[in-house]
Amino acid sequence: MENLIIKATKSSPSICLDAQSRILEITGESYPENAANFYAPVFAWIDRFFAQTNNTPVTVNITLHYFNSSSSKVLMDIFDRLEKAHADGTPIIVNWRYHEENDTAVECGEEFKEEIECIAFNMVEFNDEDS
Amino acid sequence: MWDAYTFYRNMQEDGIIFSFTGPTSQSVVEGIGEVLRRKMALEETKMSVSLKVFSIFVEQMQNVLNYSAEKEPPKVEDDNELHYGMVTVGKKDGHFYILSGNYITKQDTERFCFLLDRVIAMDKDQLKAYYLEQRRKGPDASSKGAGLGLIETARKATRLEYFIADADEERNFITINAVI
Repeated sequence: MENLIIKATKSSPSICLDAQSRILEITGESYPENAANFYAPVFAWIDRFFAQTNNTPVTVNITLHYFNSSSSKVLMDIFDRLEKAHADGTPIIVNWRYHEENDTAVECGEEFKEEIECIAFNMVEFNDEDS
Repeated sequence: MWDAYTFYRNMQEDGIIFSFTGPTSQSVVEGIGEVLRRKMALEETKMSVSLKVFSIFVEQMQNVLNYSAEKEPPKVEDDNELHYGMVTVGKKDGHFYILSGNYITKQDTERFCFLLDRVIAMDKDQLKAYYLEQRRKGPDASSKGAGLGLIETARKATRLEYFIADADEERNFITINAVI
């Protein structure tokens, strides 16, 4: 299966969904004009990728400095798909990465964590030296 | 001749950092947003405050982009409609404010007022619960995923107020002021 790579812009994150390493990454800022359109290829890829259950774990790294409300809705939908894949037998680990000074990112991560039932959702702090 | 100096000084007295009026686009949101962030970084604004200001700015600006009832259809098929409105960001008495305004249809007015009255009356915990509930829901037919944007603005603001002016037979003008 092909990987999905999308370069970041000012208002959209970089996307790197790697089928071989089973690492899915979303990094940057997310406030595109139309979040549903921007993330449509991500949904299509995720659906194809999880169509076959595989018990090798999948790691999802999300590092978003800022995202708008419509991106937040899309992220919730992505987590719902991941929960389903996890329930179907593919173990999934989500790492929510945030800068130590970014209280908003912590809060947003916690709010997703509250909404998630079965997948492992780790809050991972980093600082300027790490990045 | 117009006197830009007086105009400029009046704006400065109101603590206006920038004021935008006219047709909006995503590139305007990105461009102004970037300058706004740089300005706040220079002032050594706390990251949590600057993210709140930026967040409300984006939501309000994209609100104008999506909902302004003052619009111009594109000449080329692939282009988007141009939506008109205004967004001003300033700082007065130590508090940032985001003042935005645009025309809305009479039809949308009721929906906006209902939602705004509701979120203004809520405390932070209620706003959080409402936000999470709406995020789970699919968008309603007339919405491009917003509603959530206004709740987000209410969550980030310490004070939120709005005003509806009667414009013409089809439209009203909505003013929203969010103070951080």
